[in-house]
Amino acid sequence: MAVAQAKLEKGGEDYSLLPLVHDIIKCMDKDSQDIHQELPKLKTKIQEAREQISNMPGIDSSPLAQQQQLATLREQVRTKNQLLQKYKSLCMFDAPKA
Amino acid sequence: MVGCLLHRSPPMYTLLDMNPPVQTAKEEEINVTSCLVQKLQGLNMAAEISTKEQLLSVLDDLEVLSRELIEMLALARGQKLPQPGEDTQILELLVQRDREFQELMEVAQQQGKVHQEMQLLEKEVEKRDSDIQQLQKQLKEAEHLLATAVYQAKEKLKSIDRARKGSISSEEIIKYAHRISASNAVCAPLNWVPGDPRRPYPTDLEMRSGMLGHMANLPTNGMNGHLPGDALAAGRLPDVLTPHYPWQSSDVSVGMLPPQHGNDFGLEPPGHNKENEDDVEAMSTDSSSSSSDSD
Repeated sequence: MAVAQAKLEKGGEDYSLLPLVHDIIKCMDKDSQDIHQELPKLKTKIQEAREQISNMPGIDSSPLAQQQQLATLREQVRTKNQLLQKYKSLCMFDAPKA
Repeated sequence: MVGCLLHRSPPMYTLLDMNPPVQTAKEEEINVTSCLVQKLQGLNMAAEISTKEQLLSVLDDLEVLSRELIEMLALARGQKLPQPGEDTQILELLVQRDREFQELMEVAQQQGKVHQEMQLLEKEVEKRDSDIQQLQKQLKEAEHLLATAVYQAKEKLKSIDRARKGSISSEEIIKYAHRISASNAVCAPLNWVPGDPRRPYPTDLEMRSGMLGHMANLPTNGMNGHLPGDALAAGRLPDVLTPHYPWQSSDVSVGMLPPQHGNDFGLEPPGHNKENEDDVEAMSTDSSSSSSDSD
């Protein structure tokens, strides 16, 4: 999880498959034997991306649904804070002022 | 529509197999392209789909497109046939999906941060819940204590009201105290010794006229018809059971009775003295007298 998070924070270009595809096409154009090394790289890259996606937290819902959940939680905290404040400021025994 | 690419996706170990496809037809590539176009249109409408599913879907598309592009290029190289336009279209789709993938990854990172914030908020909610429960528990205890206090206060007020309604003047109480103390009903004479027939206790009639006597009479009214008090009132008690004590004057015996007692029984002062003392003696002969009455 921590590794996935660390990789995530590196930047978006780490997840682009285009460089690898480009390398493969270049090898094909050149009839290079390096293609046998480049193809497993692409395969490994895709597999790693799948694992990282599986381990990423908080993406089991859409951003919209997540924002709704966040708003609900904030509202809950606000309501409970108000309730507690109300209880604490409640003067149960109003002593008559002499 | 969306699943058309996924169904066609081969396992990973065959995905990037470099053996040129023997029967890879053009129509298959066209189908792949049309499916991807449709899928791209559908993704914009599927805002409810989770980011994870979208990411995996885009990744699958990238995988398929990469394979198709590589296979197409390999086939073109093997057959030496140009593929005008198609490879460009697949390449454009690949670039588009790659861009989408990176955007989704950024969204996923943001969602990860939001997720952390949500976890903090959930902890906050749990803490507030426990505080509220604790406060409710304390309020319940306070309510219980207050309810008990209010109940006791109401009972006291009721007692006070009862006492006010049945109030007796202090003079009357003092008079009555004098009467019962003069008859040695509550206190023995100063020179009293065992064997002295003067009584240091209330008489049977006095006991019956009191609250305890009334309480005892309530459930056993039928049996009390044979009590010596009634017998005395009817004048049926034998003379043997009516001893006369010389140390008691008639005035004293009248004074022994509470004011309403004499009125209830309608006793004359001279006779009352006798009957009063008879009751004292008749306490032990209650059963015998009742049996004789029943005969």
